[in-house]
This record gives sequence, structure tokens and C-alpha cells, in this order.
Amino acid sequence: MITFILKRLGSGLVVLFAVSILVFSLLYVSSGSIARNILGDQATPEQLAVKEAELGLDQPIMTRYFSWLTGALQGDLGTSWFTSEPVANALATRIPVTMTMVIVAMILIAIIATLIGVAAAVKRGWVDRVVQIGAIIGDSVPGFVIGIILVTILAIQMGLFPATSTISTGAGADAWMLSLALPVIALLINGVTGGAQQIRSAVIKQLERDYVRTLRSRGIGEREVLFKHVLRSAAPAGLTVLSLQLIGMLGGVVIIETIFALPGMGPLAVAATAQSDQPVVMGVVMYTVAVVIVVNLIVDLLNGWLNPKVRVS
Amino acid sequence: MKLGPKAAAAAITVSAALALTACGGSATSGTAAAKTTTLTVGAIQEMRSWDPAQAHVGHYLQPYQAAYDSLVLREPDGKLSPMLATEWKYNDTNTKLTVDLRTDVTFSDGAPFNAEAAKANLDHFKKANGPQMAQLTAVSDVAVVDADTIELNLTSPDPSLEFYLSQAAGLMGSPKALGTEGIKTEPVGSGPYVMDKAATVKDSQSVFTARKDYWNKDIQKFEKVTFKILIDLTARTNALVSGQVDATLLDPKTGKQAEGAKMNLVATEVDWQGLLLMDRDGTKNPALGNVKVRQAINHAFDRKTIVDQVLMGQGTPTSQPFGKASGAWTEDLENYYSYDPAKAKSLLKEAGYETGVVLDVPAVPGFETQLAVVKQQLSDIGITLNVGAAITNTYTTDISAQKFTAILFSLFQGEPWVATNQIVSTKALYNPFKNTTPELQAKIDAVEKGGKDAGKAAQEVNKYVVEQAWFAPLYRVNQMYYHNSKVAVEPQVQQAVPSIYNYSPAK
Repeated sequence: MITFILKRLGSGLVVLFAVSILVFSLLYVSSGSIARNILGDQATPEQLAVKEAELGLDQPIMTRYFSWLTGALQGDLGTSWFTSEPVANALATRIPVTMTMVIVAMILIAIIATLIGVAAAVKRGWVDRVVQIGAIIGDSVPGFVIGIILVTILAIQMGLFPATSTISTGAGADAWMLSLALPVIALLINGVTGGAQQIRSAVIKQLERDYVRTLRSRGIGEREVLFKHVLRSAAPAGLTVLSLQLIGMLGGVVIIETIFALPGMGPLAVAATAQSDQPVVMGVVMYTVAVVIVVNLIVDLLNGWLNPKVRVS
Repeated sequence: MKLGPKAAAAAITVSAALALTACGGSATSGTAAAKTTTLTVGAIQEMRSWDPAQAHVGHYLQPYQAAYDSLVLREPDGKLSPMLATEWKYNDTNTKLTVDLRTDVTFSDGAPFNAEAAKANLDHFKKANGPQMAQLTAVSDVAVVDADTIELNLTSPDPSLEFYLSQAAGLMGSPKALGTEGIKTEPVGSGPYVMDKAATVKDSQSVFTARKDYWNKDIQKFEKVTFKILIDLTARTNALVSGQVDATLLDPKTGKQAEGAKMNLVATEVDWQGLLLMDRDGTKNPALGNVKVRQAINHAFDRKTIVDQVLMGQGTPTSQPFGKASGAWTEDLENYYSYDPAKAKSLLKEAGYETGVVLDVPAVPGFETQLAVVKQQLSDIGITLNVGAAITNTYTTDISAQKFTAILFSLFQGEPWVATNQIVSTKALYNPFKNTTPELQAKIDAVEKGGKDAGKAAQEVNKYVVEQAWFAPLYRVNQMYYHNSKVAVEPQVQQAVPSIYNYSPAK
């Protein structure tokens, strides 16, 4: 078990390293006029040269990459070229906002999608049809459109929620809840409909298996068959879908955060990318890759715990 | 899985609780019958640094004005008035500016404002490599004459200098804090407000409270000022309409929504949009070297219809690149080039280009509609507009490397000398082919040495570039700044977002 985790973490580090090289090279290509971007239209060539030297832009790419890498390995991700804010600092204040939103949305998606999916699989008939139609509608409307509709109705017309985030230092739990309610709903609708679909078909597949008939023939109650056996066997499929959704959500959250003006990773990533603020972009990418690696690891571990067959392979 | 009675009761309780919180929320904001004491502005961008030397122009200036006083105060109409400087005077050759300073001002950390402090700020600005460092390029050194007088020595006259002292270059920070790490995140100035560090969150909001015993109560009109960072246009619209912010910058489309919610418009013209016909010597595109071709291009556009269709009427058709408030603007040049395709065709014929001209421009993100319209109107007179790859964030380098012979762009309309150095002089970024003639250079020199009459002198520069069709301006754009009825807002010339002094509680 321990070796398994270590192995996975090791391969995760290799991925991180490879991605860092790739992103760094891509940014290098587009970072020609950083000094000009910072100093504006009227800066003289001498002023530009001073700024470039200050940022280390006059160094060859290898030197720049290794100085970044040495710093990163020591936990120093550098400082933003544009705001002079340490990147680690920038990430530390924004990750809680984004991750709270993503995790709350994921937990809700897991619960609601499972309930709906199982209900559709067990009841079939009209329940199933409603779920199917809902899934098509839910899948076809992008999250940010749902977000804008929610703001217009619930925040602007009814005044139930703030239209944009009111989260600040010292803001109480109520501010967090009210500010995150609409973004979380906007995020989770696609997830719920997609997840429910997958869980429904996984449960139906299990219900048709021979072991279910055997269990039933031994007089075991329908409830126990469903929750103790069928759900456990159907879980890996559901988990995989949920983990994919979480990773996809890291992208979707960018737009949602912008619409709701949440001080999360989204606005940081967008601004940094638009300006080619290399240290910040590197920090954001490293964080995202790390989340993906950890999520995949957790899903593998959960799968192993749920289903012994997976552990062997 | 039916809803049991318990669950139903729970659901009802929850929705009732939600409704109650909603009532509570609206009740507090509804009792604002008295004058408001707070101002919340929807800012379009976070500050990069609160170091005054890192201040910028336009909408990037406003937040600094809360924390910092400037040497010169720029009135809403552009007139320059005393602030920390009580008086200023040039010598006869416009190469030395003597500035008298106030003696009764302290910074928020207790340090006194005096000649030494002013010198420290100007010196810091010159070497801090900020985005507006060019503002003090002409200043060779700053000398302290006595406790309340400084002299700025200039290498050559700069008619914009007094204006600059009302902008980024004139912001005064505490000499004790300049150059420290702390001032990057927490401003230390002598301004009307001080930052409430505890309530300020990077990329979310900056909160300021009124400074006790501030020397100029006339411009300190609120107890609390909040800059709420709302980069996204939709978020700004929603925040304004739902009452989260009192004022913010929108655009013609979202403005309609704000007007539906009874918000008030403050419109100002800040930028012009149109073609920069940059290769005027025909180095890479010989056709552009012919003035008749450039004039033909100018006659091709039905500017009025473009304004109505593309900007929903929120703009003014124009043929001149200099702004209305700049002093270089003249009525005669406003409609110098009429919409006249027939004349355009005959000009092309005279120039020997009746078989057609090809004009290459890069695509500019956000200008898709404008490019489509321009392309169509040019094709009517036989000019093919080739829209190439989109510009990237290296576009300034590309422009100065003469990568583009023409571009459809949006540019700021500043003071005459600023605009001259932006688009006309051989030093200008937007004159990459360094086009000039002795006649034009003489006119530019007259502006530089013009002192107080620089605006008038710049009218000649304006006339020259319009007649020579250096550009094909289409229109000046209205910036749509909206505010609710709790505050009154006065527009500021050449700024989409007004100066902080222009806001006051509504009467």
C-alpha cells in the first residue's frame, strides 16, 4: 500500500517537472515585451533594458528555468512581475476560496447525483425519464449561463443573495455562505446531471448481474442488496466520473469566479496569463497539476478500498 | 423517496429563513434617507503596487488619489489648480520650474511634507521604473531652494510637465516609506483617506477611511471609500444594479441594463478609434506613401452610420486624432473628410491606383465588428483590407519593429504634447516608420517651446496630420460611467473614470 502511494507520488513529480518545462518554454516564446507591458508606451530603450535586467529577462532560457526551479524546490515560487506580490502568498489567499467552492460543489454533486442516479435506476418508468431529460437539459446549458440567470433572478430581482462576492478578511460564515451559494449552484448543475447519468447506468448494469439474483433468491432484503452490494460495485464508475468532473471544474471555476468577482484562482490565472506574468502563471499551473495528481491518487485509493479486485492490479 | 412531512417542514423553514435574511438585508439599505457617508466604486482593475511611483494614468489613477495628494490638482475641466504646490512658475526659457509648497501638511505616518519630501518623491519617481516614468524624462534634477520651495531643472522644455505634476509624477508619498516593501501593499501619503488594512483584500477590495485632521476638508467628502475590484463587465453591471457599488464603468450594451435600473450616466470622450496609416513614406506598402491614397481612405467611411451601428450612437464622428479637450482640437477639422466614395475613387485614380490597393492590418481582439465594417466600406472604393493574424501582448514591440504598415486601433487622447509624442513625433511609438518633414518638425518644435500656448501651437500639428491624412480617424468613443442616486459624480476630461474628488454624496 505504502509503496503504491509512493510510486504514484513519484510519477506525479515527474509529471510536474515535465509540465513545468513545457509551460516555461511556452511562456518564454511570448514574453518578449514584458518590460514594455510594465513600463508602457513611452519608455525608452534604456529604461526597458534596466527593467529586463531587473527581471532577469536578459538571461538565456536555461538559466532562467533553473533559477526558477531551484527557487521552487526550496518553496520559493518567486514574485509577480507586475504586482511584486510573492506568488506563494497570492496562491495562499486564493486557493481557500476556490477549493472551498470546488469541494462543497463536489460533495453536493456526489450526494445528489447518487440519490438521483439510484432512484432512476431502481424506479425506472417516469422517474427515469425525468432524470434522462433533465440530464440532457443540464448538460446542454453551460455553467456560466446558469450563473448569470441565477444572479439576475435570485440576486438582482429578489435580492436573496449578493450579486458579487462579499468575502473579505474577517467576513463571517454567513458572508461566505451567501457569497458562495450561487457560484456553487452554477457549478454543480452540470455535475449533478452528468454524474446521475453515469451512476444510473452503472447501477442498472449491476442490478442485471447474476449475483443480485442470487442475493435476492436467498431472501436478502431489497434495501440491503442495493446499499450493501450493488452500490459498492457500482461505485468505481461513479468515482471516476466524479474525479473527472472535479478536474474539469478547475477550469470551469475560472469563468464562474470572474462573473461573481470571487477572489479565487480564476481572476489570478486570467490576469497573469493575459500579461504573461510568468512567475504567477507557473505557480497557478503547478498548483493545478498538483491538485489533479492528488485527486487521481485519492480516487485510486478509494477504489481499492471499495473494490478488492482493483488492489491486485 | 417521497418528501415526508418532516422534510417538507424543514424545507419551508429554510426558505422562510432565507426570505427573512433578505428582508433584513434590504431594510438596512432602504433606510438611507440621510446623506450617504460611504462611497463604493466598482474598480476595473487591482493596483499593481501602492508605491506612488508605480501609479498610472486614466482609471488607474483614481485609487492613488484617495491615499496621496498631488502637487497640482487637475479640475474636472482640466484646469490646473494648487494642491500641495501653492504656486509654480517657469523661467523665460521654460527650462526651470520653481514650485512653492504648502507647509502645513503631514503624511499619515507623521512625517512632514516639505521641499525635501517633494524632492525625495520626484527623485524616487525618476528611478523607480514605473509605468509613467516618462513623465519626468525632461527633468534633469530637482533642487531644494528652501524649506517650502523646489526647482525642477529641465534638459528641454516640456509643455506637459505641469499636467504631469497633477498625475502620477505629482503624487507625494512619505519619504520614510518610499522604496520600502511596505508601501507596495499599504499606501503612506498625505491624502484625504487612509487605507483600512484589515478590511482590504488583494484582488477583492481596497477600503479607505477618512483621515482625521486632513488639511483640505473640501475634497474629503466621505467617511469611507471602498474600491471593489470587478474586472468582469457582467459582474460590474450586476454589482451596480443590485446596489453593491455606487458607481462603475460599463459599455453601451450593459449601459442599457443600468439605465433600465434608473442609474445615471456620466459620459466622457477619452479615446479615438480609427486607422493608423503608419507607412507614410511607402517603405513597405508604396500605395500608403501617396497622400491621395490616404485621403481616399479617409473619404471611404460613413462615420455617422458606423457610430450609430457599432457604438449604438455612443460616440462622435471625427476626422482628427487630437481630442476635444486637448486645445489642439479645432471645429474645422472635425468633418474634414466627408463620406464621399466617388471622390475617394477619383483620388485613387489620380494617384494611379484605380486598379486597386491592398491594405494589410493585424486583427485586434475586440475590434471584430469595426474591422468588418471598415473592410466593407474600403472595398466599396476598390481597396482590399487584408486582416492578418491577431496582435498579441508583444504588439508594442511588433509596432516599433515596423511589422505593421497600418492598424485599426483605439488610442488615448491626451494633452497636446503627450499626444504629439504618442502618435506624431519621430520618437512616438505609433510613428514607427519615423515619418516627418522639416515643415512638420518646425510645428512640433513650436509646441515644445510653446509653454502656455502649446495647445494653440499643436493645432498646427493637428491640421498638418489631418491634411496629410496620416490617420483615418473614425470617431471618439463615449466612456459610459454609471452611478446610482446616492452619489453625485462629475465627469473628468480625458478620464473614463473620474478623479476621486469628483464624487460627492447626493443632496
